[in-house]
Amino acid sequence: MFVRVSWPDQKAQGLNCLHKMIDFRNNSGAVDADNGKYNNTNIPVTSQPSLAPLSPFLNFDPSYLPVSQPEFIFPDGALKQRGRFELAFSQIGAACIAGAGIGGTSGLYRGIKATSIAGETGKLRRTQLINYVMKGGASMANSLGVITIMYTCAGIGLTWLRGTDDSFNTVAAAATSATVFRSPAGVRKAGIAGAIAAGVAVMYCLWNNGGLSVQRMNGWKHPA
Amino acid sequence: MEEYAREPCPWRIVDDCGGAFTMGVIGGAIFQSIKGFRNAPSGWKQRFAGSVVAIRQRAPIIAGNFAVWGGMFSTIDCTLVHFRGGKEDPYNSIISGAATGGILAARNGLPAMVGSAIIGGVLLALIEGVGICFTRLSAEQFKPPSLVEDPSQFTTPSQGYPS
Repeated sequence: MFVRVSWPDQKAQGLNCLHKMIDFRNNSGAVDADNGKYNNTNIPVTSQPSLAPLSPFLNFDPSYLPVSQPEFIFPDGALKQRGRFELAFSQIGAACIAGAGIGGTSGLYRGIKATSIAGETGKLRRTQLINYVMKGGASMANSLGVITIMYTCAGIGLTWLRGTDDSFNTVAAAATSATVFRSPAGVRKAGIAGAIAAGVAVMYCLWNNGGLSVQRMNGWKHPA
Repeated sequence: MEEYAREPCPWRIVDDCGGAFTMGVIGGAIFQSIKGFRNAPSGWKQRFAGSVVAIRQRAPIIAGNFAVWGGMFSTIDCTLVHFRGGKEDPYNSIISGAATGGILAARNGLPAMVGSAIIGGVLLALIEGVGICFTRLSAEQFKPPSLVEDPSQFTTPSQGYPS
């Protein structure tokens, strides 16, 4: 059953209560049970920012806190690694930047060669070099970025389809993305590109999982 | 996406570059597919072929431009964060947006640089403004129902047990 209390009424009740219960404002100590031993009982119960370092809960040996290695807290049932979607943007960006660097360097090399053959000097040569670097960097960055987008999309799709995220996904996604990227060049070239990508992905997975040690090979032969 | 958070500063450049490239690929693919479809000779097969050709030719270039914008933007953003003593506020984004616009138009002459810088700054100011508005609106619903103005209300007795 609910009783509606009008606003001033409630306020008055609260004030009344304050006077009865926690009126520490003028405790002289003379009439208290502790004979005035603790003459200031006016201690706030709520936390105060200035008192935070003095918290009794922090009163422990700080050597318990590990400082050498990071301590991560994972939610129950969560993977101890970031998923493919969370890594996707970083991978694409890394591919773009790497492509810009590689393409820019090769463009600079080609530009220096071409301009010295053509005998250009001064302002003309400088502008021409900038053009070469920009063109080479942009095309390489675009190609690598698009391949990586295809790879991440394939990886996310495979993870979603299979329900697990393992090395097989990496290899299959790499092969798929390379095949799709080279598909306009013809079936044969697309197949070759896919095979190369799969080989690279297999090598990466072996390196990432700790190589081909005897224990691991035995583990594959005789799965526990 | 629910676990997605912004990376700490040096890695944010890579992350933003990738995000901008992805955005550019998706947006460019949509735009170029429509453009290629409209500009192709009549006939469904030819229209779809034109669409695909346009996407293959133009979408990576648009994506690359986006990626350059995003990467340059976060590079300047991180530089500003470093030099302003770890401050990350809307002014940072606006300044880096204007600087990015200016730097990327550097080869087109000074008037183009100024114009691009103004456009970049205004764009980023709009984005930041919308972001602040969204934060305000979403913070509104997490507000406690009534703030206590009077300290006496702290001791409102629980119903049924008057002391």
